[in-house]
Amino acid sequence: MSSELIRYKDICVDFHGSRLFSKFNLIVNQGDKLILKGRSGSGKSTLLKILLGILHVDDGEIFYRGRKVSASNIWDIRKEIAYVSQDTDIGEGIVKDLINEIFSFDHNRGRKYHRKRNSLIEYFGLDRSIVYKKFEDLSGGEKQRICIIISVLLGKEIFLLDEVTSALDPELKEKVVDFFLENEDWTLLVVSHDNTWDRVAMDEIFVDGCEINA
Amino acid sequence: MPDEISYTGLFFGFLLLIIPLLIMRYVRLNMGKESLTAIFRMTIQLFLAGLFLTFVFDMNNPVLNLLWFFLMVSFAAFESVQRQEMDLKSLYIPTLGAFLGGTFLILMYVNLFVIDLANVFEAPYLIPIGGILLGNSLGGTIIGVGNFYSSLKRNENRYVSRLSFGAGMNEALMPYVRKGLRSSLKPAVGDISTIGIVHLPGMMSGQLIAGASPILAIKYQIAVMVSVYVSTVTCVTLAIFLTSRICFDEYGILNDQVFRNTPDVS
Repeated sequence: MSSELIRYKDICVDFHGSRLFSKFNLIVNQGDKLILKGRSGSGKSTLLKILLGILHVDDGEIFYRGRKVSASNIWDIRKEIAYVSQDTDIGEGIVKDLINEIFSFDHNRGRKYHRKRNSLIEYFGLDRSIVYKKFEDLSGGEKQRICIIISVLLGKEIFLLDEVTSALDPELKEKVVDFFLENEDWTLLVVSHDNTWDRVAMDEIFVDGCEINA
Repeated sequence: MPDEISYTGLFFGFLLLIIPLLIMRYVRLNMGKESLTAIFRMTIQLFLAGLFLTFVFDMNNPVLNLLWFFLMVSFAAFESVQRQEMDLKSLYIPTLGAFLGGTFLILMYVNLFVIDLANVFEAPYLIPIGGILLGNSLGGTIIGVGNFYSSLKRNENRYVSRLSFGAGMNEALMPYVRKGLRSSLKPAVGDISTIGIVHLPGMMSGQLIAGASPILAIKYQIAVMVSVYVSTVTCVTLAIFLTSRICFDEYGILNDQVFRNTPDVS
């Protein structure tokens, strides 16, 4: 039986003085693999950001595991959701140090990640020496894969993936898509213009501003 | 006692200003009026300070001395918020707290343990040393806090991604705290390491002119340099953490309203 994980209820968001969404509704169940579609600027990324409390809604509510998302529980919710954003701008410095610092956060401390990190680096077609390079010197595609690897290493089961395959070549796109779809327990909320995601049956949600019900 | 400067002497001092004015005229730099206004303001301010300090020193009343010091602190906090172009109403109190914590406690410690004063509120120590600590911490805080918020605003994505990687607010802010502190301490460390070779600092020069022995003057200078460094670090750190309680909303997202001159997008 699938259980409800995330519910967008009558979400309204204003942006630059005009209404981006009015009364957007969506239910995401555990294990769902949803892809958000719509023209650019329609607010797909915004939907991911408001779930993480990075942007705030002007009206409506979001529920996470049945509880209304608020300032008091957003910190715990963020710890359960992996978010890979489209800008891949996660910091600067040596990749290894960046990753180590993330795993020194109170919440992540004690999590074993070195071996898995190395195997993911190989799986995604990167050279192991990449961890000694500076993050800011990497190519767009390399940055995307490092961000994906970090999100996986954190051991979460809900993924918000915002255009995470855009800078990858077709073969790698397939690999990334396979990797995420393989795991039945994982819940995915994907924003992508890549049709690689389309070859599998993912539920498509069309975001175009008004009165969406799914 | 050092030689008296007569008003004629001061006049000759002002006469030196002809040099920059001629240079500005030659290179057509339009800063003459601005410079003269600043110098005029400085002169009036210092005369008033002189009159007032004469009174404060004559009284040498602990309450009055402290009051004068707190007046300086409150002005420093005002100047700091103002120069960072941030909202005065919401940020004044935390900034004031930072300056009080970073200068007053260290000043008391220095007076008590380093200079070993019987009365730590003695005007000739409290006010000048307090002023040195404040002046330097103010400079450091304007640079450090300014850098903290400007790099946060420039790289907000990185901050947000750290939040999504499971960081608590302080954990997510650490790279920005490091950047802010580094930017404010670099000039301080540079000053410390060139002192005595490149320049003799104002306080030491003052003591030498007043006839103190060079060894006494350098001891004071060493104590002052160390306390300036400590109080700059403390003020910048306190100012960052205390203001961040107000500059972020409960979701840990930067609250744009605390910045003045933020272009309104809507």
